[in-house]
Amino acid sequence: MEIGLDIFLQVVVWGLYAGCIYILLATGLNLIFGVMKVVNFAHGQLLMIGAYVTFSFFVLTGFNPYVLLAASVPILIILGVSIERLCFRPIMGTGKLNEIFISIGLIYILENVAAMIWTDEWKVIKSPFEAITVTVGSMKIPVDYIIIIITTAVTLVALYLFLKKSRLGLAVRATSQNRKAAMLVGINVERMDMLSFGIGAGLAGAAGTLWVVSGQVFNPYMGSVPAVKAFAIVIIGGLGSIPGAIIGGLLLGIAENFTVFTIGGAWKDAIAFLILIIVLVLKPTGLFGEKAE
Amino acid sequence: MKLQYAFLLIAIVVIGAFLSGCTQQQASTASGQALKIGVVASMTGPSSTTGKDVWQSAELAADEINAKGGVYVKELGKSVPIVLVQGDDESTREGGQKAVSRMLTQDNVDMLVGGFSSAVVSAHQSMVAEHNVPYIITGASTPVITRRTDVNTSFMFHHAPTTDDSGSQTTLFIDEGIRPAINEKFGYSADRPLRLAVLYQDSPYGKGHLEAVKNTISNSSLNIKVVAEESFKMGESDFRTALTSIKSADPDVVYVAAFLNEQIPIETQAMRDVDLKKIFIAIEPNDDPDFYKGVGKYGEYSIIQSRFSPYTVPKGPTEAATKKFVTDFDKKYGGFPGMMGVATYEGVYIGAKAVENAGTLNKLAVRNAIADLQMPQMVEAMKGQTINFSRDFRESKFDLTMEQLIWDPAVNETRPKIVSPQNLKETGFVLPDWFVPAKA
Repeated sequence: MEIGLDIFLQVVVWGLYAGCIYILLATGLNLIFGVMKVVNFAHGQLLMIGAYVTFSFFVLTGFNPYVLLAASVPILIILGVSIERLCFRPIMGTGKLNEIFISIGLIYILENVAAMIWTDEWKVIKSPFEAITVTVGSMKIPVDYIIIIITTAVTLVALYLFLKKSRLGLAVRATSQNRKAAMLVGINVERMDMLSFGIGAGLAGAAGTLWVVSGQVFNPYMGSVPAVKAFAIVIIGGLGSIPGAIIGGLLLGIAENFTVFTIGGAWKDAIAFLILIIVLVLKPTGLFGEKAE
Repeated sequence: MKLQYAFLLIAIVVIGAFLSGCTQQQASTASGQALKIGVVASMTGPSSTTGKDVWQSAELAADEINAKGGVYVKELGKSVPIVLVQGDDESTREGGQKAVSRMLTQDNVDMLVGGFSSAVVSAHQSMVAEHNVPYIITGASTPVITRRTDVNTSFMFHHAPTTDDSGSQTTLFIDEGIRPAINEKFGYSADRPLRLAVLYQDSPYGKGHLEAVKNTISNSSLNIKVVAEESFKMGESDFRTALTSIKSADPDVVYVAAFLNEQIPIETQAMRDVDLKKIFIAIEPNDDPDFYKGVGKYGEYSIIQSRFSPYTVPKGPTEAATKKFVTDFDKKYGGFPGMMGVATYEGVYIGAKAVENAGTLNKLAVRNAIADLQMPQMVEAMKGQTINFSRDFRESKFDLTMEQLIWDPAVNETRPKIVSPQNLKETGFVLPDWFVPAKA
């Protein structure tokens, strides 16, 4: 297939946009895994709750949905902290099977609670900037996608600064690297668990808001597909590696979109696992992963 | 520790309850004699909106029939009430198998109606065939449902337009309605081929439409060239790249075979993100209030192939029945019953009529009565104004309409106007000013 430069760049932009949602989701997932060594299968459902929180505040207040990040992120942080405190902490150390069952159970509980509160009909809201486009060469890019890409970049920079420059971030990283040693130097690791789960859920909430703003439809059952992609990214990038989640997210977003363009949409989901297999064969710990304990 | 185990146990019980795929049964009669109809509906999962329409419409029909004394069964010498059994397919193949298996083996239903999604229905057909229970399928649209040879489908009847029916009529409309309008407006010669792109769900439903479009073009020698065929996975929400690919193929018209949750982002992303100023065609499952609300201004001037619309009623013999059904449903449940709802409503009546004609609840006799049925059309306009099933593949045939969405400032949404067929049309097809024809 012959691809003009404008079409090529357009597909790259769609890939970057998709990558942003994946990155936010996968980074949160990785942060939780890095600190707690827990795989939260219900992470996609946190994105879904973030979407509904944005929707509800938008309907109630009529505020610009981007401003509603200020609602969805804190609410999801509180939800994340509650889930960690009530569901995961009591079973920490009792075996992986318990963690798996808890997170699978959470999928159904969160979906059904969302269906009960918001019904299971598809919802959609419109961005106030939907009619605004930016011309780049021969391309017209809706300004919403530029805002989404910038918002994701700012969020990741803020996360980086928090983890690298703050004492709390240092404690999170220390817990992630060696839980026992962190305890020995006086770090309250349970507090770090709560914090990392909260931040992870907050990032999923941000992904939910950006999902809604881009005009995507959503219902209580929409979280599973993005979650599966996020898991693939986490494995591609390396378990527990945040740079890995970022590179993996961008790689997958762009690869998926070029697959749709060249081979067809039926292969879109398969490409994530094709990349995953190739990466695991060449580097079993993922692109940025460290050796397993 | 005990508290932790108790919590885990509760969690497992809750999960188990959600996963169990329970069937729900209306209250049985005191005598125990009743016509038990299993309703296969997606009560949970992504298709639950449609599933609830299906169940509630079946319930409305059963209540109406029961209020009139039930179904007369000659063999019993009396009328028996209809008892509905709900089988939630959970919007999945596995869920459908669980629900149908339970209705056949534990609830011992006399017949089945419903069945949303070709993929879900295909997965449980072999169970139905094994038990020889009459099944009036009112949702799935692939013709394969009653034409497949690997399963005995002789007890299955298809009361919904097939993808062949709707694909064919829509393609003919593109040729007879849209192609001349483009040629006339832009001064093209009458023999200029119309460039058509097809964006279809990668499922029996979507592939069935693609095949129907191509077969119609070929069999009727239409002057239409298919310039792009793009597929997407069921439930997809990001169509930007597929639409960019379609844009690069430069079509005049984009035929979309998608469900409502896909059609809304497709038209929105096409107009807003990809600047694809073409005529979009949607297929009948989208003719729903949620579609008009969701697609907003982006749906203006697009076409929907329909047979039962929330906002327009074809003039003619079914007009009064349609209005009554919509009003009764709204009064009882609130909202619009949807196209699969109305087909299921008719499906319950078809089942009841067949039992009356057969004079028995014997499944083979009822199956034969459905096959021989000649019943006046009810809510939906049928070919020959009669509900009957073809001898070869047991399909009923519908009169389909093409509607164009026109902006209505009073409601701040688009509203459909019937533009085809000639005998039902409210207005002519309009080519919008923003439309950009293919250069090639």
